[in-house]
Amino acid sequence: MANQTLLKIEDVTMRFGGLIAVNKLSFDIKEKEIVGLIGPNGAGKTTVFNCITQFYKDYEGKILFKSTDGYTDLKEKKITEIIDQGIVRTFQNVELVKDLSVLDNVLIGAHNQFKSQIFSHILRTKKAKIEEETLRKKAMAVLEFMDIAHLKDLYVGVQPYGIQKKIEIARTLMSNPKLIILDEPAAGLNDSETDELEALIYKIKDKYNAAILLIEHDMGFVMNICERVCAINFGKFIAMDSPKKIQKHKEVQEAYLGKDDA
Amino acid sequence: MTSWLKKIQQSPRLQFILFGVLLSSMAILPLLGVVRSSTMSIYAYIIIYTVVALGLNLLLGFSGLISLGTAGFMGAGALGIGVFMNMGLPFELAVVLTLLVSAMIGAFIGLFSLRVNSIYLAIATLFVGEILRQIYSQVAIFGGEGINIGPVRFFGLIELNRSLRPERSLIFLILVIVLVVMMIVAYNIVKSSTGRALMAMSRSENAAQAMGVSILKYRLTAFITATLFATIGGILYGIYFQDAPTRQWDLNLSLFLIAMVVVGGIKSFFGMFLGVFIVHGLSDLFLKDWLGDVSFIFSGVLIIVVILFYPYGTVHIWVDFKRFLKYIKSKIDKRKGVTPRG
Repeated sequence: MANQTLLKIEDVTMRFGGLIAVNKLSFDIKEKEIVGLIGPNGAGKTTVFNCITQFYKDYEGKILFKSTDGYTDLKEKKITEIIDQGIVRTFQNVELVKDLSVLDNVLIGAHNQFKSQIFSHILRTKKAKIEEETLRKKAMAVLEFMDIAHLKDLYVGVQPYGIQKKIEIARTLMSNPKLIILDEPAAGLNDSETDELEALIYKIKDKYNAAILLIEHDMGFVMNICERVCAINFGKFIAMDSPKKIQKHKEVQEAYLGKDDA
Repeated sequence: MTSWLKKIQQSPRLQFILFGVLLSSMAILPLLGVVRSSTMSIYAYIIIYTVVALGLNLLLGFSGLISLGTAGFMGAGALGIGVFMNMGLPFELAVVLTLLVSAMIGAFIGLFSLRVNSIYLAIATLFVGEILRQIYSQVAIFGGEGINIGPVRFFGLIELNRSLRPERSLIFLILVIVLVVMMIVAYNIVKSSTGRALMAMSRSENAAQAMGVSILKYRLTAFITATLFATIGGILYGIYFQDAPTRQWDLNLSLFLIAMVVVGGIKSFFGMFLGVFIVHGLSDLFLKDWLGDVSFIFSGVLIIVVILFYPYGTVHIWVDFKRFLKYIKSKIDKRKGVTPRG
């Protein structure tokens, strides 16, 4: 059975005052697909991410996400409910709690699975303890999957950048995601770390059956890993195709290199 | 014996209880005539401020929010039970009502804090504190200068009067118990998903929201909790001194409380006690006897020195102390001719 469409972006426009950051953009992502979103600086890539995750709510158009019964219009959901739908993201500048341990940071990714409230936390009820224990085990499993289990009790702040990026990805895995959105996952990584990340993303796709949408400027990385690539420029859709075809696409080349005047 | 020690080392909750047991000695020593009974009162103050500082620490250290109205809420605690008990209500009911009123004001500030941040939040809470102070001294129900609470009857069973020395020691024990409970409460909050959510919120609101952390819910949580801690501190004041003055709960005290949290060590639990001890206790307990009236200058200088050398709080002295012990040990080992490991 072919994979169904997971995320539909339909005619999305986002304005900041007079500036149109995203202009009537439409594309979709299928289940378990790895999709890259590329475009020159200022093309509106991160704005698209922020619209999907409802950081921006006043966009025009529709963003639909597959749920158990048909599609949910994400605009109807609060920003804090997006993770419940199965969408989770990382950030361009790693956003972790530096003065918490690696394990605790990963546990923040399971925040929506904690049913116990502050009173049961204060009294340390049996239910709250079991819940904490269960999710702690789950977090350990994720850390082992990511090969960073040995760092679990160390502070995040003292970890090198590459490890911090891994921790942020580990945090996304806690929420049983259907779609993981990665904002420049390879930025700041060296070559061997980038190779490692590539292998890791395949591993995540296999084990967690999640689709992955990523922004990245490292073209080698994007072309290697993505099944389809969506190119945008000045907020407008240019093309969406397999990496090979995108590389040969005339408008995409123009967007990056400029027009040939001859 | 060693396994017993290890157990304590691994469980902060046990450490809090042990700490309470140690502190209880201050209730007994004055009865034996070993220390002056005024010393016990200074320790009572330290306990009261530590409870307040624990709450402020949740706000300042863990949630990244500030309040300059803390003293106002302490006043709410002391004056609140005063007013309700003067109405003839039993002590327990007075406490519950006082906490309810405070929680409501705390919730109001929490809602308010969604719109303002950092220095603006400081200014806003500054005026909440000032308004409370004005209300205390102007409104007739608070009796102008204050309310005399008088002997407190606990659970309708025993009545404790502070002017009798053994009973005052018993009241001190109640304070110690409440302190230990509040330390455990604060610790439990921080080490739970609530605590993690508070920290996530304080470091990056965007990331926190993407993880499903509601800013509204956790700002309310932070402010209501901190307010309740301050109010409980005020209630303890009311129980111990059996008097609720109106003019003491000013900005000066709020600022000193922030100093206590910072000097002790933000995000530390024992640090709160240490901070209160250094800022409030030291001059009253020791310096005053040795230096007389200029003791305040010396305690001020001392605090500045402490901040210079331990900007992350005096609890870190412990780390240096352990390092020092290790150093001594390695020296001894060398003398014995044993090469140190590692």
